[in-house]
Amino acid sequence: MIKFSNIFKSFSPANEVLQNISFEINSGELIFVTGSSGAGKSTLIKLISALEKPTSGEIIFEDQNLSDLSNIDMPYLRRKFGMIFQDHKLLFDRNCFENVALPLSINDTTSVDINRRVRAALNKVGLLDKEKVMPITLSGGEQQRLAIARAIVSRPSILIADEPTGNLDKKYADDIMNIFYSFQQVGVTVIISSHEAPQSPIKFKELHLINGELGNKDVPLLS
Amino acid sequence: MFRYFHNHFQALIRAIIRIKSNWISSIIMIAVIGITLCLPATGFLLVKNASQLSSKIEYDAQISVFLSKDISDDQIEFIGSTLKQSNLVKNLHFEPKLKAWEKLQTKLKLNSLDAGISENPLPDAFFVTLNSLDTAVIESLHDDIQNLEGVNEVIIDSGWIKKLRSILYLIKVALFVLATLLAIVLIVVIGNTIRLQTLTYQNEIELSRLIGATDSFIQRPFIYTGIFYGLGGSLVNAGLLTVIIEIFNRIAYKFEHILGGSIVLYNLSLNEYLLLAALSMIIGLFASYYAASQSLKKIEKNF
Repeated sequence: MIKFSNIFKSFSPANEVLQNISFEINSGELIFVTGSSGAGKSTLIKLISALEKPTSGEIIFEDQNLSDLSNIDMPYLRRKFGMIFQDHKLLFDRNCFENVALPLSINDTTSVDINRRVRAALNKVGLLDKEKVMPITLSGGEQQRLAIARAIVSRPSILIADEPTGNLDKKYADDIMNIFYSFQQVGVTVIISSHEAPQSPIKFKELHLINGELGNKDVPLLS
Repeated sequence: MFRYFHNHFQALIRAIIRIKSNWISSIIMIAVIGITLCLPATGFLLVKNASQLSSKIEYDAQISVFLSKDISDDQIEFIGSTLKQSNLVKNLHFEPKLKAWEKLQTKLKLNSLDAGISENPLPDAFFVTLNSLDTAVIESLHDDIQNLEGVNEVIIDSGWIKKLRSILYLIKVALFVLATLLAIVLIVVIGNTIRLQTLTYQNEIELSRLIGATDSFIQRPFIYTGIFYGLGGSLVNAGLLTVIIEIFNRIAYKFEHILGGSIVLYNLSLNEYLLLAALSMIIGLFASYYAASQSLKKIEKNF
């Protein structure tokens, strides 16, 4: 589904953030991108979700080379991903319902469909009773779940989360992780960046970054 | 096709929501546009009314026929009857030179001896009111009269109307320049407001980009806001002009006996108001499109 071949990424010539990264993600897999701070997790996540372009190397997504895509096609590619950001990126001038509805309005969904799908997404993360509430009044864990509802509302085949549990205590973090696992169970590819791989009941692949290089022997690297 | 209209309808709704959510600044913005439009519009209104007035006055255009000094009474009578016969002549008035000289002396409080003028310098004259406006007809009449024996000089008195018209034309040109400058001012003011709005909605713009909104999708509500500003401004302008005209007409009515006639300002026509509205909406569209696309370029994607 996603194939990275010899990816290099640098923001300045002296500073190589990612070096010679090669891996393949298959449809329906659970992936953890791990590593200490500054190892390049966020950059790798950005490359996977096509928010950044690699300095060199090749990224193939669904048989398409991303470097062939023009800037005009980029937004349409991004709609295939459900993104969950480190800082949630919720809009605090809109209520929960409107926050979740945002990707659908971009997608030309009709208002009947929007109502139905937003409620389904809120129900999935357990926030259906808060649809009229402003997100500022939600707890950290609830905000994270709202962000997840927004990511899944357009039914993406890939869910990408950048440190989704970074600021949460263990109980909330487990809740969030269970939500991700449940999506992986129904066939969604789930990619999560995290400080370290959790004790997961589900089989997963780990992409362990050390100073911008893949360093995990468990991962079947491409030669 | 349906999608296209649905998209635009959504953008329209979002623009209305945004205008509503900061309605105070929106009202101020619309007032600024309305007042700015009002300046050249009032000018055009005055010029339009003055042109209408000048076309009414034109019916009273005159030809003055000055006769030679050594003309005989028979010749004067002949010229008079010739002029009377012409069907272009509406009214004919003969002014003998003696009477004209007396009139002039009383008017200037002048004594001919004091002034060192020994004889009457004025000629006999016919003043002819015409019933035609056609310059070609007037010109040929002018030539015909000029060729009559005993006629010294023929002056078409409609000249001042030409002057008035050229002055009005000049004012029109000046107003056009003023309107162009004010249009630029409006573009800058609307553009700057839209730019500030894009900064207010920066989070939303960034997020929309991250989740796959196209730039035109993000720009659209801002562009609609600009168009709304233009439309609102033109409505304010129409209201202001109507009030100005009403006040002017009431004051003019009070002074009617002093001015010796009624002066009534007429409002712009519906078509002219529609044209103004279209122009200010185009200004709004242009300004907001430019400002939104410029600041979208500046807002970096970061997450």
